[in-house]
Amino acid sequence: MRRLGLFQCGELSFAISLLQIQKILQGSRSYRLPRLPGAVSAVLVDNDQLVPVLDLGQILGEAGQLDLKANGYQILVESEYGTVALPADLTGRIVAEQRGVLSTTTVKQKCLGVIGKFVYQNEEYNILDIDFLAIEMTQGFWQNQPDTGGARRHQ
Amino acid sequence: MGVFIAVVASRKLIFRIGGVGFLLELADVVEVVDQITEDLDPSRSIIGQGIVSALEFRQTWIPAIDPTLKLDIFSAIKLKDKVAVVLHSSEGNWALLVDQVEDLSAAENFQPCEVPFLLKVAAMGFYSQIKLLQNEPMIVFEPERYYGSAAALV
Repeated sequence: MRRLGLFQCGELSFAISLLQIQKILQGSRSYRLPRLPGAVSAVLVDNDQLVPVLDLGQILGEAGQLDLKANGYQILVESEYGTVALPADLTGRIVAEQRGVLSTTTVKQKCLGVIGKFVYQNEEYNILDIDFLAIEMTQGFWQNQPDTGGARRHQ
Repeated sequence: MGVFIAVVASRKLIFRIGGVGFLLELADVVEVVDQITEDLDPSRSIIGQGIVSALEFRQTWIPAIDPTLKLDIFSAIKLKDKVAVVLHSSEGNWALLVDQVEDLSAAENFQPCEVPFLLKVAAMGFYSQIKLLQNEPMIVFEPERYYGSAAALV
């Protein structure tokens, strides 16, 4: 039985497979470093390791609007390429997949890094493709345009 | 007027630029000069090489380099209010302009910390090492990336 973590970050509601969530920090200090890619808002330190904080606002085309929530959660998520942190408001829940309704996104409604929708209690959550977001948002070629990133990633 | 700093092996100089912390081998430092207003000649700049001014230091004009240009850091500190960290290199002394010199710290106070795989490409050409000081990431400043014939290559 798959479980999903459901979170909110400003206007963005998002869901992540519980298996990918390493830990959830609260109010962890983040630091800006020079030359971070545009879609990485900062880094945080966890267990003596640097973790890039992704600017989730860019999924909605709102760069820099949703990042660095000083008192929010930082969700540490394991990707194929290393750990990344996602900022979130101080709300969140874990639910079994069958408690809601899953749907895939159509090309028309597709946002980069979103592989589907999960509707739970009348709220629609974007299911994030963490591997895709981790590599696209940290390698400096993130654009919020469909059909631009995946091809490069697989070149 | 300058503040003489004796070269002490294994100690690090901590400075900040735009809020970002850096550390520098103290052995590379000739002197820290904190009042440079009267010693600057900005007309002698070579912006393409990061040289924003000449600085008169011990009766000699040396290049003053502002690393914010290369690192793309925003600093609210004006040129005349910067602190000059004079470094020696095989090509002579040069001044590194920073916002603030914070402290000296023993090498053992720093924890090693790798640049994560996901950020290696972004950092490439600008820094290669980060250390933690009280859980804050500090960039190991590599002078050769900023001045001298090798700077053009890195």
